[in-house]
Amino acid sequence: MQTAQSIDESDLVSALKAGEQRAFHQAVRNYSPGMLAVARYYLDRSSAEDVVQETWVNVVEAIQKFEGRSGLKTWLHRIVANRCKNRLRTANREVSSEFGEELEPGIADRFQSGGRWATPPKLRFEEHAESLMENEALSDCLDKHLSALPEQQRSAVMLYEAHQHKAEDVCNILDISASNLRVLIHRARQKIYLMVEDFQETGEC
Amino acid sequence: MLMCRDLARIGSDYIDGQLGATDAISVKMHLLMCRDCRSFIGNLRESVRLIRGHSDYRMDEEYARQLDNAVDEALESRGRG
Ligand SMILES: [Zn+2]
Repeated sequence: MQTAQSIDESDLVSALKAGEQRAFHQAVRNYSPGMLAVARYYLDRSSAEDVVQETWVNVVEAIQKFEGRSGLKTWLHRIVANRCKNRLRTANREVSSEFGEELEPGIADRFQSGGRWATPPKLRFEEHAESLMENEALSDCLDKHLSALPEQQRSAVMLYEAHQHKAEDVCNILDISASNLRVLIHRARQKIYLMVEDFQETGEC
Repeated sequence: MLMCRDLARIGSDYIDGQLGATDAISVKMHLLMCRDCRSFIGNLRESVRLIRGHSDYRMDEEYARQLDNAVDEALESRGRG
């Protein structure tokens, strides 16, 4: 979870406008992970890191134009998304859009032809909820699986779940329709579901 | 009649409260009768909680410092400009 929510954003913005170095360093730490998540939707890791860096350099000046109509986080994410889109345009590349089916194959395979479960869920995660949250091995496994998600699914799920953007904002930032966003989120959640189930069963990632 | 497969398909919308009233009622009815789907929905909810609670993209310290330096340079030239 971000600590950004606990500081008063308008104080931070004033400090940034005043050019306070400490405020910038704090903002860099608070907001860059989310900005990277956005950039990774479009670009490979090293280009994504470049774009985030360019964005910060740009923000040193551009913050004067920030009027607070959207939150600072959303504003930063939009700048990142636009810079990424420009890069792709220059490179003459399109973002491939693979939305398709709503069911993850690993789940779709588990039904009989009539639509009932053939291989039903074996465990109830919530009975182990506390130990799940604190299990370090699981957390590492989650990390691994989240970073292995297809770019679009990962960015969508990160912005929507981990960074708690509104669906509308995520669609705006990533330039996708509401129904495409739903599919990306469904699929990503199902993948993580399968991962947790597997982990519970085997104790391995 | 809603089948288990349908429920898996729209389960994510259900837990987010994104289903229309009629669909939401069909899901609730199904859940009353189907233990497997209750497990599925419970587990899906738990998966979402895990994702939400997970701090993503750990930024490595080296990259964070690189960003700090870039910002410092920009601040300096803004100060001069
Ligand atoms: Zn069922």
